[in-house]
Amino acid sequence: MKKFIKWIFSGWMLILFFAGFFLFWEYSIPLFDIPRYILPAPSEIVLKGSADLDKLIYYTGVTALETVLGYIIALILGLGFGIAISFSSILRRTLYPFFVSIEMTPKIAFAPLFISWFGFGLMPKVIIVVLVCFFPIVLNAILAFNSLSNELTLFYQSTGASRLKTFFTIRLPAALPQCFVGFKYAAINATVGATIAEFIGSDKGLGFYISIVTGNMRPDLAFAGIFFLTCLGLSVFGFVTMMEKILIPWHISMKRINK
Amino acid sequence: MKNFIEVTELKKVFGKGKDEVHAFGPATININTGEFVSILGPSGCGKSTLMLMVAGLLDSTSGKVEFESKLVKGPKTDIGIMFQDNTLVPWRTVKGNIELQLELRGFNLKDYQEQIYNILKSVNLEDFAERFPNELSGGMQQRAAFCQAMIHDPKIILLDEPLGKLDAMTREKIRADFQKLWMVKKPTVIFVTHSIEEAVQLSSRVILITPRPGKIDREIKIDLPYPRDLKVKRSTKFIEYVNSIQEVFHKYGVI
Repeated sequence: MKKFIKWIFSGWMLILFFAGFFLFWEYSIPLFDIPRYILPAPSEIVLKGSADLDKLIYYTGVTALETVLGYIIALILGLGFGIAISFSSILRRTLYPFFVSIEMTPKIAFAPLFISWFGFGLMPKVIIVVLVCFFPIVLNAILAFNSLSNELTLFYQSTGASRLKTFFTIRLPAALPQCFVGFKYAAINATVGATIAEFIGSDKGLGFYISIVTGNMRPDLAFAGIFFLTCLGLSVFGFVTMMEKILIPWHISMKRINK
Repeated sequence: MKNFIEVTELKKVFGKGKDEVHAFGPATININTGEFVSILGPSGCGKSTLMLMVAGLLDSTSGKVEFESKLVKGPKTDIGIMFQDNTLVPWRTVKGNIELQLELRGFNLKDYQEQIYNILKSVNLEDFAERFPNELSGGMQQRAAFCQAMIHDPKIILLDEPLGKLDAMTREKIRADFQKLWMVKKPTVIFVTHSIEEAVQLSSRVILITPRPGKIDREIKIDLPYPRDLKVKRSTKFIEYVNSIQEVFHKYGVI
């Protein structure tokens, strides 16, 4: 409780900023005579959005499922490939340059193709989320597992420990901070991927909702959808950040944030 | 009698063809059990390369290294090793880092608790056992790294400019710590450095390496009593050793 009060207190500037932002938004609508089909006031968004709450919650669940499922699959694949490429010189000369060149392609461009191949269901969305999350994870994992200091490498060699033992006692923990750079980047990408996939072809989900209500000249509902999407994105990102704090509390970037 | 460590015609060349760099050798060195030998030379002369080849952590281009008449092939594991950049991992405490050495070797940690405390005490770090490396000063980190390198009682200690990044006062203090531990446990030490004073103060023998490609210019036996404290450092004999070594490197245009 004390901690919470301290947190609120230390965050007062941010709270003030947000309050100011929404107040400005609320009162600039009548002030500048902005038509409500262009930009609705926050109060209207809350009012109209709450009337549509059931649908919004259901669609949030749909999008969340696509996001989380895709993210987890990307995490498993990305880490797996990342480790394999780091430890195999053959893969490093074949798969790695291949991944780097694909990284340059905007993955979202594949979305219409996947929809046409796999239909309107869950699978194409999950595939698209996997695609946008996989590359930051795999590329950062490769970087992470290849950047062990020369001294530590020589040190563990001088102990005669097995490769498996050194992997779990030294290489893996040493790689985690850089891996999390990829995990966090992917967490941001995940909701973006799911939303765009829904824009292109779906019959449910927040992306679908936003594109439909925008078509019906209801920006108030679109903003309500965006609000739920933001909450979803924040939850995914927050969860990954929390895992980072739990798994690598010793890392220097964590210490700086806590201070 | 065979020597403890015998290095014969050891040579290292990096790269091939046009990019070829002759880094070290050929050089022949013999080291006895319990000796504290300094490898002294200008930067880039290949002294670290020599040390890594002795430890079997780097393959030589030609020549051989033998320990007790046994040829070194691949990394030697009965050694303790320490570098300019320490090998402490940030996710373990000082004690955890010392245990890392034991864990990797598959030793039972329970048997070593007292030894860990004693070695930390010998370098005045006993109150910092539960601290993380980034909470310590550079000098304290190097002392912790020294404990990490020594905890398994290796017969051979390899030190690659371990004091290189420290300030003058801290260096002085840690030299004294090293000396104290060496005098008690008497391991064979190979100490790579470019500090003439440090080499003379610590070693029983100094091997002078020429600029690249490093070859042995000469060996100087340091005939001074241990422990070599400030009084010894102010003695004429100590200063004579330092001066004579300085002259050698002056001749090469290094200083």
